[in-house]
Amino acid sequence: MRVALSGITVRFGELMAVDDVSLTIEPGEIHAILGENGAGKTTLMNALFGLVRLAAGTITIDGTERRWSSPQDAIRAGLGMVHQHFMLQDTMTVLENIVLCAEPVGRLGFVDFATARRRLHEKAETHGISLPLGRQVGALSVGEKQVVEILKLLYRDAEVLILDEPTSVLTPEEKDRLFSVLRSFRAEGKAIVLITHKLDEVMESADRVSVMRGGRLVSSSPLAATSKERIGREIIGGELPSPRTRGEYRPGETVLSVEGLRIASRAGSVGPISFEVRAGEILGIAGVSGNGQAELVQALVGLKRPLSGEIALFGRRLDTLDIAARRRIGMSYIPEDRQRTGLALAATVSENANAGREDARAYTRGPFLNRAAMARFARGLIDRYRIRVAGPHARAATMSGGNKQKLVVGRELARATPLTIAENPTWGVDIGAMDFIHGELMRMRDEGHAVLLVSTELDEILALSDRILVMYEGRIAGEVAGREADRERIGRLMTSRAEALPEVA
Amino acid sequence: MSARGIASGEALSWIGAAAAILAVFFLLMLMVGAPVGEALQGFFNGAFGGRRFSYLMTTLSRAALIIGMAVSVMLSFRAGLFNIGGEGQLVAGGLVAALAAILLPGPPLLVLVVSILAAMLAGAVWALLAGVLQLYVGVPLLVGSLLLNYPARYIASYLVAHPFRDVQSGMLQSHLVPQDMWLPYFPGTRLDIGILLIGFVAVGAIVYSYTTLHGYRARMNGLSPDFARAVGLPVTRLALSTLAMSGAIAGLVGAVAVFGIHHRYIDGMLVQPLYAWTGIIAVLLVGMAPWAVPLSGLFFAAVQTGAAGMERAAGVPKEIALIMQAVIILFVATRVSGALLASSERRGADGA
Amino acid sequence: MLDLLFDSSFAASVPRFVTPILLAALGGALCERAGVFNIALEGFILVGAFFAVLGSYFTGSPWFGALAAILAGIGMGLIFAEFNLRRGGDPIVVSIAINLLAAGLTTYLLRAIFDVIGAFTDPNIVGFRPIKVPVIESIPLLGPILSGQPILFYVALAAVPAVHYFLARHRLGLRMRAAGENAAALQAGGVSPQKVRLWALVACGMLCGLAGAQLSIANVSLFVENMSAGRGWIAVVAVLLTRGRPLPLFLIAVIFGAVDSFSFRVQGLGLAQQFTDMMPYLATLLMLVGLSWWRRRQEV
Repeated sequence: MRVALSGITVRFGELMAVDDVSLTIEPGEIHAILGENGAGKTTLMNALFGLVRLAAGTITIDGTERRWSSPQDAIRAGLGMVHQHFMLQDTMTVLENIVLCAEPVGRLGFVDFATARRRLHEKAETHGISLPLGRQVGALSVGEKQVVEILKLLYRDAEVLILDEPTSVLTPEEKDRLFSVLRSFRAEGKAIVLITHKLDEVMESADRVSVMRGGRLVSSSPLAATSKERIGREIIGGELPSPRTRGEYRPGETVLSVEGLRIASRAGSVGPISFEVRAGEILGIAGVSGNGQAELVQALVGLKRPLSGEIALFGRRLDTLDIAARRRIGMSYIPEDRQRTGLALAATVSENANAGREDARAYTRGPFLNRAAMARFARGLIDRYRIRVAGPHARAATMSGGNKQKLVVGRELARATPLTIAENPTWGVDIGAMDFIHGELMRMRDEGHAVLLVSTELDEILALSDRILVMYEGRIAGEVAGREADRERIGRLMTSRAEALPEVA
Repeated sequence: MSARGIASGEALSWIGAAAAILAVFFLLMLMVGAPVGEALQGFFNGAFGGRRFSYLMTTLSRAALIIGMAVSVMLSFRAGLFNIGGEGQLVAGGLVAALAAILLPGPPLLVLVVSILAAMLAGAVWALLAGVLQLYVGVPLLVGSLLLNYPARYIASYLVAHPFRDVQSGMLQSHLVPQDMWLPYFPGTRLDIGILLIGFVAVGAIVYSYTTLHGYRARMNGLSPDFARAVGLPVTRLALSTLAMSGAIAGLVGAVAVFGIHHRYIDGMLVQPLYAWTGIIAVLLVGMAPWAVPLSGLFFAAVQTGAAGMERAAGVPKEIALIMQAVIILFVATRVSGALLASSERRGADGA
Repeated sequence: MLDLLFDSSFAASVPRFVTPILLAALGGALCERAGVFNIALEGFILVGAFFAVLGSYFTGSPWFGALAAILAGIGMGLIFAEFNLRRGGDPIVVSIAINLLAAGLTTYLLRAIFDVIGAFTDPNIVGFRPIKVPVIESIPLLGPILSGQPILFYVALAAVPAVHYFLARHRLGLRMRAAGENAAALQAGGVSPQKVRLWALVACGMLCGLAGAQLSIANVSLFVENMSAGRGWIAVVAVLLTRGRPLPLFLIAVIFGAVDSFSFRVQGLGLAQQFTDMMPYLATLLMLVGLSWWRRRQEV
């Protein structure tokens, strides 16, 4: 099945998310679409899939022009998509998830699970996939969940498979398995579209590469006809920034110490975890999402009470204190979710900027607010962190993702506390904001503060960390010094503890 | 679409909503075959007219109670606390006010003040009960506060039906509170000065909401509870103190009803007129904007007394007021307060 | 004393109290599972009770009464859907408004159509009669409970496994669960969650309508203002407690029904009516407190 996109344009209000893009997806090919966050890759595929409306352009399949009124039409035409955030029902079984929305029904609309099971078995076997169909999806690992998503496409006889950032949550081993399945699909003549921002994977497995930037298609050519360097330039629209210069690594006294920390989690418990963060260093915690990092951060910040263990800041026990007390003693927190936890979107920039301050006297007179002082403070953050917003009285919701994040980062770093905990601090922001935030974290470190950086982006960890801990299944699988870190080694640690142990011994 | 296009689309849909509300109104009138002209005249007379404006005074008197309840609810809602148990808090206040005034010895003015304070305390305790259930047990406030209405209602009913009943009156009611504790009327009217008390509280609540640190923090909690927690706001204390304020105001409203209007506790006197629910919808109508809450409360009071006027003048059952209030909320509040409420958690506090 | 309370006529009265709560709660469960936060069950039931009387009065048949109640319940569900699903209103706001609407509308119509205030009784209102079930009737203990009840009790009993099986195996049931758990995934699969939720509201309206019919033309043959008297809220709590799972819901409804029936029973024994009236709500609150407490312990 050959899909031709021509002149595709998608607008969100004033924003041109996809601007006049034309490209062809050939059968029997792995077609990578590369670009930064916000380059329009996902929106383009959502348009192809009928999830967003086209402002202009046509979709042609095997020579006939098609229009979708809903994704259902696209699915029926043989398209299938694995979204970046899995579209699964955690409390349902694997089989229920697979048949959902494409149920074979018997009498009175009841689902014929026996037929579904039979059909699925045949298809899965040809590609060497096996999965317990009766298990609850919530109990599966991330890699297994992705297999469920792929089985969904197989079950629907999809001829064109679109995968949005499929490897961002996978261990290297799971990634290899994924690509071997994709190659088996290719051998069957299916077309595979791989949306990604990881250049290395593309070089390994793609047949054709298209690069997008700012909603436009920059290039589309066979892999053989281009080069890694050229693609890299096309992605960012210029030369790659030079590696960040950093001050000499001179760790000082211990700021945060964690000893035998255990925390309850959905999958049982996380820990025991022990580590230290010292003044003047960035300690990176790497790992595939969902391996206990979120629980660890919540326990450190005070959002979740640990089961056992000790957390101490400068030797002072924190684990019985509430969030406000911990912040007063010297902790700042840049949360992962700026929409819910980092900001109150319906409030103004000024209200958001002042909320975390413990020196309330600085912006109050008696029980009353000193709005002018609040605005002054917010203005200071806007200037210093180069936040693009109408002013202190604009609503936080009016800012772009990158500027929202800068506000959160600014608010927290302006407190200049001995310890900063940053949780995926550049998730989903543009490259300019990312660079700026990285610079600020590095500045904190150079000024002698301790920074705990928890990130699922290995590039971010490698770019910033002095020391790296890798978390796997709720424990620390190993430690790597920042200077000598290499992806292979960290990759292995991210995969399994069992494998890592002999190396340490 | 241009900005102007969006604005005019917005205006159009408001016109559509107004047309729909009017359509429901005329449909209901048609159903009982009421003469529309007379009914409307009766409505305005019932809400604002009467001999020497006596109906207007009734409207104001009712408005005082509704605005009081609305202010109480507004404080909770803005802080993200779905306290819909205003009725229980109101009843607790009214009951305690009446009993304290009847039972306590001492100079009337002192007893009056103590009774009002006791009523506020009772309302606050009743609200805090729901708050404690949410924060420390995990019972969602929405349901917990609502279910606490029923014990309050029935306990009050029992007390004035048995131990403290004015048996001679033959009704389920307490004795009269001593006459020298009655709130005085404005000269030449039947409107008591309770409305001043409520007005004072309403102004205080508006000032509180816009200008104080506590009000600001409470609103941050209302807009995003996760955010409030993560930046270290004292969320538990905020919730409890806000609920206490809310309940105290509801209790005060109960006391005003006792000392200003009924001069005793009569079974059902605070429940049947749906003061608490009207207060809630008055807040929802204006999307929880503090400055508009008194106006909204006055509006609903006028709708209710106006409906009574329509009944007198044109035989339209006065329950039309309830229907119209609900319809207005459906068409208006779903547009105004939707996003605000939706952002908050409502299934009870989470762990930690 | 005790045997006076727990004699067979007490047992036989339990189903009358279980039925409305169970039917309404099953409706609420469908909404809950489909991701509709519907706390307007009280209003749905009240309207159902009124229209059941209306239908029965004008046709002389309880069957048409029940049909009218179902249609009225569906109407309420559609109003909820219009303002919550289509116009995007907050479900709590919509629920509060619908509950008020139901109270106002039933009272208004009572006066407009029958010209009475408060309560409407009339010999033309024909209620459902008890059904004797041949074999079951003669079982000791259970016989008087399971036999000799109005038809809606059996409907409610059958609805428990029906709803359970529907949610587990039916195409629409599967989609309802998906709409409640991860609506975005359902959307991505090409099925509109809002359409699925509309069906949940329609089904909820039907079940609540029947719950109202049980109150007005099975338990008695009359309509009283505000006749639902908080049962909708108890059903809401039952749904919350069980997270909308039909089988546990059945248990909870039986307990509530038993308390309701018990409180009715002890009224004759000199306990002040206010305390007996309060019992179902206190029991509800206590169960809510107990279960919330237990759940919190489990989670920590």
